[in-house]
Amino acid sequence: MRELLQLLTACIGALGFALLYNTRGINVLFAAVGGLLGWAAFLGAGVLWGPNDYIGGFAASVMLTVYAECMARIRKTPVTVFLVCGAIPLVPGAALYRAMKYLTAGNIQMFREQSAYALLFAASMSAGIMVTTIIFRLCWSFIAKDAKEKRRRI
Amino acid sequence: MPGLTRQEAERYLYYAMEIGEAMLLCGAEVGRVEDSIRRICIAYGARRVDVFTITSSIVTTVYGEEFLSCTQTRRVSSMKNDLSRLNALNCLSREICEKKLSAEEIASRLEAIQSTPGYPFPVQAALYAVVSAAFCIFFGGSWEDMLVSAAIGVCLKFVESFLQKGSSNPLLIALLCAATGGLLSNLAVSAGFGNSSDSISIGNIMLLIPGMAFTNSIRDIFSKDMITGLVRFVEAVVLAIAVALGFTFANFL
Repeated sequence: MRELLQLLTACIGALGFALLYNTRGINVLFAAVGGLLGWAAFLGAGVLWGPNDYIGGFAASVMLTVYAECMARIRKTPVTVFLVCGAIPLVPGAALYRAMKYLTAGNIQMFREQSAYALLFAASMSAGIMVTTIIFRLCWSFIAKDAKEKRRRI
Repeated sequence: MPGLTRQEAERYLYYAMEIGEAMLLCGAEVGRVEDSIRRICIAYGARRVDVFTITSSIVTTVYGEEFLSCTQTRRVSSMKNDLSRLNALNCLSREICEKKLSAEEIASRLEAIQSTPGYPFPVQAALYAVVSAAFCIFFGGSWEDMLVSAAIGVCLKFVESFLQKGSSNPLLIALLCAATGGLLSNLAVSAGFGNSSDSISIGNIMLLIPGMAFTNSIRDIFSKDMITGLVRFVEAVVLAIAVALGFTFANFL
């Protein structure tokens, strides 16, 4: 139940941000699906490899980046449009908030724990985006037969 | 095709820079900006193009047979994420490279793109409410917290647009917005609305955290645009910490 609710809210959150960043037309929906897929991968990784949030964050951003790169080529739109909105649910806002709350309350032990979590989660998410972008573009340059298609800026 | 005259070269370079600057303002990665300017200049017959872009500046020199060399610079000061404008500019630059539009045509197309309005204020306020509500539930808040978070989200939009009229410092605006959000959530809980001011604030915090700047900075760093990547990364981290601190500020009172 909680998982379903999270999937739904991740989707709505990504949709909201797509609109706040002034996305127009059908791309708004595709951006929202990105948020949903990313969180689905997070939950899926939890089922497959046990509850490790860092692996989940990595899996989520791998999934999201593959989706965004594919959509960018299909829709002939910059990757940013799909990637950025879908990545919003993966931003560790809650951990950051708690870290600062413990810091101001003088609870250094918990501050360390929460800020390390926020930092590592952000790092694993960025690692996922990077690794996937590089590998995807490498593969794409082999797949795209047409030289013009290859050079096209996405 | 005969070489460009000095005047033509300056004119086309001006429009290439105009497009590049607009892209940077909407939140494009530096690589995309440099690539677009380079492609446009080469399409109009430049022999060599050197572009250097960081978050706050663009410098381009083009070389050609007849006009020798021509340099223009831009100082880019503000930034406002706008993905539909970015998309339109991207399409325009592709079209320019394919069809070699005339200078007047580029000017009118740019004008049209720049004057496309964003979503109206009430829609944006509603979106703030929706996003806050969604992330409040996402991070495990209760339904009651969700409603309070949505209401505070709307307030934050008003506070933000009020502050934006007075100041152009994004750090200050974010800090004050965050402090207001923290204060309102504590007030709401002590007045009996909502269960936990933490869950409420966590919904609101997502509005102010610079997710896009963070994602873009990572992409910049790994596409070898180290300076911009690092600048944007530090900006995003400082802003995120300021926001989180602002929300917890109310706990002192």
